[in-house]
Amino acid sequence: MKKFLTVLLASFMLLTACSNNTNTANEGSGNTAAPEAGKKQEITVWAWDKVFNIGAMERAKTVYAEKNADLTVNLVENAQADIIQKLNAGLNSGTTKSLPNIVLIEDYRAQSFLQAYPDAFFALDEYINASDFADYKVGPTSYDGKQYGVPFDSGVAGLYVRTDYLQEAGYSVDDLQDITWDQYIEIAKAIKEKTGKDMLTQDPNDLGLIRMMIQSAGSWYLKEDGTTPNLADNAALADALETYKRLMDAGVVKVVSDWSQFVGAFNSGEVASVPTGNWITASIKAEAEQSGKWAIVPFPTLPNTPSSVHASNLGGSSWYVLNVDGKEAAGEFLKETFGSNADFYQTLVTDIGAIGTLKAAASGEAYSAADEFFGGQKTISDFAAWTEQIPNVNYGMHTYAIEDILVVEVQNYMNGTDLQTVLSNAQTQAETQIR
Amino acid sequence: MSNIKKVGMYVFLSVCAFISIFPFLWMLTSSTNVSADVTKGRILPGSHLFENIKNLFESVDISNALLNSAKVSISTTLLSLLIASLAGFGFEIYRSKARDAVFSILLLSMMIPFAAIMIPLFQMFGKISNVVPFVGIDTLSGVVLPTVVTAFLIFFFRQNAKMFPKDLLEAGRIDGLTEIGLFFKVFMPTMKTTYAAAGIITFMSSWNNYLWPLIVLQSPENQTVPLLISTLGSAYSPDYGMIMTAIVISTIPTALVFFFMQKHFVAGMTGSVK
Amino acid sequence: MSTAKKGMSIERKSNLTGWLFVSLAVIMIFVFYFYPMFQALLLSFKSGTGMNLQFTGIDNYKRLFSDITFITALKNTFIYLIIQVPIMIILALFISVLLNNSQLKLKGFFRTAIFLPAVTSLVAYSVIFKYLFATDGLVNKLLMNIHLIQTPIAWITDPFWAKVTIIIAITWRWTGYNMIFYLSSLQNIDNSIYEAARIDGASATRQFFGITIPLLKPIILFTSITSTIGTLQLFDEVVNITKGGPGNSTLSISQYIYNLSFKYSSDFGYAATVSYSIVVIIIILAFLQFKLAGDDK
Repeated sequence: MKKFLTVLLASFMLLTACSNNTNTANEGSGNTAAPEAGKKQEITVWAWDKVFNIGAMERAKTVYAEKNADLTVNLVENAQADIIQKLNAGLNSGTTKSLPNIVLIEDYRAQSFLQAYPDAFFALDEYINASDFADYKVGPTSYDGKQYGVPFDSGVAGLYVRTDYLQEAGYSVDDLQDITWDQYIEIAKAIKEKTGKDMLTQDPNDLGLIRMMIQSAGSWYLKEDGTTPNLADNAALADALETYKRLMDAGVVKVVSDWSQFVGAFNSGEVASVPTGNWITASIKAEAEQSGKWAIVPFPTLPNTPSSVHASNLGGSSWYVLNVDGKEAAGEFLKETFGSNADFYQTLVTDIGAIGTLKAAASGEAYSAADEFFGGQKTISDFAAWTEQIPNVNYGMHTYAIEDILVVEVQNYMNGTDLQTVLSNAQTQAETQIR
Repeated sequence: MSNIKKVGMYVFLSVCAFISIFPFLWMLTSSTNVSADVTKGRILPGSHLFENIKNLFESVDISNALLNSAKVSISTTLLSLLIASLAGFGFEIYRSKARDAVFSILLLSMMIPFAAIMIPLFQMFGKISNVVPFVGIDTLSGVVLPTVVTAFLIFFFRQNAKMFPKDLLEAGRIDGLTEIGLFFKVFMPTMKTTYAAAGIITFMSSWNNYLWPLIVLQSPENQTVPLLISTLGSAYSPDYGMIMTAIVISTIPTALVFFFMQKHFVAGMTGSVK
Repeated sequence: MSTAKKGMSIERKSNLTGWLFVSLAVIMIFVFYFYPMFQALLLSFKSGTGMNLQFTGIDNYKRLFSDITFITALKNTFIYLIIQVPIMIILALFISVLLNNSQLKLKGFFRTAIFLPAVTSLVAYSVIFKYLFATDGLVNKLLMNIHLIQTPIAWITDPFWAKVTIIIAITWRWTGYNMIFYLSSLQNIDNSIYEAARIDGASATRQFFGITIPLLKPIILFTSITSTIGTLQLFDEVVNITKGGPGNSTLSISQYIYNLSFKYSSDFGYAATVSYSIVVIIIILAFLQFKLAGDDK
């Protein structure tokens, strides 16, 4: 009996020790009721990635503190997948206790959240001006005629190339300016022959390359209404898939299955190019030895689609305000920083390499700086110029669901099934799955 | 045992041991390497260990996370062992048709994937938060509460109770012990190896528990170690050397718990029937 | 007369004691498992996104039958179940019997080593497995060095081999775990039984099948049921090592539930329906295993 009581006592003591944490915690987190002006207020922000997103928020905090010292901004870092789970749980729970004030949401996903949880988000029409931002960002961040997201990073895509491998194969950087994917494949074969290096990596589970290709042609997995699957009669998609197959069959692709393998491949010099969003710059520059050996050229176009331009997007996210206490304070905070402050965007570029989508920021100083790592190229102004050309598409609700279907069908296509069958199978499946 | 058989046995066990340990060793050496080397799959140890540890402690509050995980895992283990063994004992020693039916129903609770009950459970805790905040959302107690009792553990104790010699109980009764006294003075000491095994398993599963703490805990001060590691891994340019260091640090407690408990597996049966 | 009265109250007392022992556990499980499970059951009859769920009757259940992704996930999960669980149980049994031998040296070392995978963090070992089993990874290099294969096997990017990789990963991780259960129970078997059998001339194999297995039956049943449940609910390995790929070839049901809830458009209703399909399958399989074991529950 004594043992029993001792064990029980010990456990209860531990539990109360556990609860001590929460008393301090509850003061720190959560949302305070809207106080009168001049009183101290607190808001919480959720984002992933310490260096880039949280880093941007930290600088926003500093900038805003000069305007309004009464606001305390708590930054909570979590993995992106975790944020999605927590947000879903919180929005379904019926308590606002567990929700942040501001949350970062990837553009591909935003419509899904806005539609699934109407009334959960706070419209920001009185705080920011949609026309101040790059056109292609407005679609994903608005819903039902109202603007909900503050566009943040530009996922504008570029083709990063190893100039030294190009030279070995007898090419110069100019040869890669404004090319089509078929020309890219030719160059890739030459590089493989002369240097033995693959041209790029691809992960069979990730169709980012195809997404970039079709967006460059103003097309997407879904029609403009954002809910009807657009696979079977999508000429741009067909072109993209055929190009993808030619690329894979040319023997110039290193297959990877993991993000770290993707990064490892270009860090260790195993691939000659990386077609992806500009947010990869920091990872590329991480290998200091390769300084001066890289350049960034415009994104190639689809060979058989006239509407394809030399600009596309991969990823990119925006800040959303939740409809909980503190929303006005959050709105003000965003308005004065990401919403309108062009100088702030210069800091983002110089400090963390984050390219925003505020049109006014593009004329700032930092945007025209030359980058030694890329042989003196004015990379930011190049990216900013391309950003303006990115075709506007509606990512809609089901990007990831359709991509998972496509991933399976693309495998079939690679293994010999003909394109029309593959696309119509995908279309049928997508229509059944999406209600 | 013939010599060939003996050698064969050692060879087989050594191969198993090597295959089992190798990834763990790789984990250890990776924590001494730079991130770039880790992504290239380097096996040999490097000299970056102190750098990694320094970076880790500077980037995140890992000592706090370790403390939180420890609080949660220890209390969960102690409470679990007690409640589940009481139940397992009850189901097996005092058999009745009604209780057997209840037991079968309890087993159902093991069969649903956690992802399915996660949101309803969270909603429940949302309501609990409004009434009893100290076991609600964003509390360590809230993490412990739903995980304390599992049908898994009750099932485990019950099956082991089947192997328990009932005559020991009779002997105890003759000696004048109450039923609850029988549990503490006869059953528990005899089933030491069972408790040791259950303790390790419960501690481990509580320490590595991910989904429930993820949605229940909000504030950074309350994070447990697996959540911390997940955050580290989702950066655009993760520092893999640092992540491996964090993982090694987080694995040490469970390895230690196992190391100390395992000698209880060799304890023979104490106190046989006279 | 007095003895008859005593008899009745002992029975009732025993019944009451029984309930007292189990009540706390039962109540807690009902509150924290069955109540949410019931909610989930209600959800399974609804469909929609996030908060916009509408009652759709048995539409969700009908949808299961024409859902190609679900059927693929089901097939995959069954392949894992049928191949992996028996291999793992037999391996774990074998190892634990070997380790139970009092004459064996280095027992502590072997025990710790083989249990280590269960302790190794999921994130760590999935990254390691991905490197080891990459097309230019160590495993291929080793196999080619000893001339077992000519060209590297695409362990992760080939639909067939990816499944093999998952089975290897699960077995690697959980064999030691199950070994612990057997070891701890083997300790409860009195050595004198084995002594008597040896004196009677029974070989090691006879002792294994004639004494060990029957006495361990409750634990073997336990591990077989828990492994069945674990495999049917398989999530971690699939999501972290192959991400369900290539394509859908290693997709597990739990991963599909997760995708439906969080990756796609948050159709929690349909996700609940898929979850209940697992419950039904597990119930059937568990029932079969109990019957096979002849356990009189």
